[in-house]
Amino acid sequence: MKVLTGNRLDDGEVVFLSGAAWSPRFGDATAFDDDARAEAAEAHAKTQLATVVDPYLIEVGETGGGLAPVSYRERLRALGPTNKPDHGKQALGGADIERLSHAVGAARSKGRVDLIRRK
Amino acid sequence: MYNYDTIDAEMLADRTAEFREQCARRLAGAITEEQFKPIRLKNGLYLQLHAYMLRIAIPYGTLNSAQMRMLAHVARTYDRGYGHFTTRTNLQLHWIKLRDAPDILAALAKVGLHAIQTSGNCIRNLTADPHAGATADEVDDPRVWAEAIRQWSTFHPEFSYLPRKFKIAVTGAPKDRAAVQVYDVGLRLHRDDDGALAFQVMVGGGLGRTPYLGQTIRERLPARYLLSYMQAVVRVYNRAGRRDNIHKQRIKILVSDLGAEEFARRVEAEWEASDKAAVDLPDTELARIRGAFAARGFESLPAVSPAFEAAKSENRAFARFARNNVAPHKQPGYGIVNVSLKAIGETPGDCSAEQMDLVADLAERFSLDEVRVAYEQNLILPHVRLDDLPQVWATLESAGLATPNIGLISDIIACPGLDYCALANARSIPIAQDIARRFEDPALAERIGELKIKISGCINACGHHHVGNIGILGVDKKGEEYYQISLGGSADDDASLAKILGPGLPAEGVTPAIDRIVEVYLRERREGERFIETYRRAGAEPFKEAVYAEAV
Repeated sequence: MKVLTGNRLDDGEVVFLSGAAWSPRFGDATAFDDDARAEAAEAHAKTQLATVVDPYLIEVGETGGGLAPVSYRERLRALGPTNKPDHGKQALGGADIERLSHAVGAARSKGRVDLIRRK
Repeated sequence: MYNYDTIDAEMLADRTAEFREQCARRLAGAITEEQFKPIRLKNGLYLQLHAYMLRIAIPYGTLNSAQMRMLAHVARTYDRGYGHFTTRTNLQLHWIKLRDAPDILAALAKVGLHAIQTSGNCIRNLTADPHAGATADEVDDPRVWAEAIRQWSTFHPEFSYLPRKFKIAVTGAPKDRAAVQVYDVGLRLHRDDDGALAFQVMVGGGLGRTPYLGQTIRERLPARYLLSYMQAVVRVYNRAGRRDNIHKQRIKILVSDLGAEEFARRVEAEWEASDKAAVDLPDTELARIRGAFAARGFESLPAVSPAFEAAKSENRAFARFARNNVAPHKQPGYGIVNVSLKAIGETPGDCSAEQMDLVADLAERFSLDEVRVAYEQNLILPHVRLDDLPQVWATLESAGLATPNIGLISDIIACPGLDYCALANARSIPIAQDIARRFEDPALAERIGELKIKISGCINACGHHHVGNIGILGVDKKGEEYYQISLGGSADDDASLAKILGPGLPAEGVTPAIDRIVEVYLRERREGERFIETYRRAGAEPFKEAVYAEAV
């Protein structure tokens, strides 16, 4: 399954596609189980010049009763830096945050190449 | 210190106005990210994992109190109340909003600060010895020359699209506090046989995926030819440097491919053919710059301060601070005070807005209005009267800024790593925090003595792991954070590159490994030997055996 993510243009906030809008919470994200639909959403997002920067798809999987990004990097984006637990989305609390903080798995992210490219 | 003149001020104002318009067009969707990215990068604005990051230049690591207060103001108003001092002596703010960026640059410009030359393939913001103008061992203030290079290099049309970024470090002292041997160009001032000022010019140093120490192409360049000679160096690189593979485009690759001798020959030929007088600064201009850096307000004091001596004998914590964090000053009765940004368990290099304000106040009251940033991610109050040291220490102590660990095992360099950086493979900060906690006991840290640990979260080596006595590199091993340990590096005047000790370790294995390495050192060391010296004498084997004993 896939989720579409990017950074919001005006403040850089990590956002996830949620229906037709963008949400800062991973818990709100629309999960695509169909690759073609996911790619169509990505292609459409790339035309939203004034909304989101460099949107890309990430892999998500079932964990502890809900979804979480498969890669550690993407979970870190969805939570915030580990050295400052009061910064980033982790400060908001909630069941989705709790689930993400306990998810385990790979550090690598397919979105990484794009992130590096847009440094 | 040097203050920007009206030309600089106008340039900054124009630049900010231009960027404000560019941001507005981007926010309105009138230009694409692809078009905008090079523009924002040229203004120091990166996009990282959680937000935009603004990298503010601190030319040759020198600030006055007004500038430090402005950094605090910006961190408090536009970020989350803190900033991160980097190994390039810049300040990074990690939670910036694009819509605020023009206002931030306008605020910074009021005190002569900016984010120019903090990104892109140009000559970057320069670094220099943070003890400049205060240490007795220097032959000249390196900031005079660093400022001359800044004026020459800023927006230099010929050098705005070099094959890759280009970093220069300058020192005026034989003791290297600026890591000049790992820079694209390292400059070391010394006195020629006849007493004239000359530069030792080193080129082709660098870290990253292919580390090299710089090679000397000129032992004695008469100082007044610095700019014309630099022009020749950068011209040769600009013409011959590769542009076909991003990993091979730094000058270190060109110098390695050509050989230092051939590179030097090309530079000399270029230099001889050039119109030197068109580039080199006239003596009057050099004198003007020099005048700006001459510290004013030193008092004539006795070399020994009874108040300082009494405080040391009465207060063991103060005595420890004085031993580890205070360096001798050229002026009798003064000291150079290192302000540690390595409080145990905190993020190396991080400084809160309140701490910045406090350091600014101390600088204004006790340090002739000057603050320095060291590449080892600490701050420095360069000109403090020994008489005032007890009070300065107490104030720093109250703000968590007096950890007595300069040059010791908990004075760790760490890049932001995967917690913030889009390039990182693994986190650096939690590793640094964990090691510092293990060696929290200041008596233990002092018993171990000088030991420099440097941690990078990826091969780009912003955390200088190649030149750590103990270097730690975060890698991605089948999706897990792993850490490769190397030993024997140094960025000091005895510079050397560290060698990998063995297979990578998981995060929880790093601190125990450091523990075993330290045990071996304490067992093997001879009287007065620093860690690096024991390693160089005894070799890697005993350390390797201890770290990997269980695996064998």
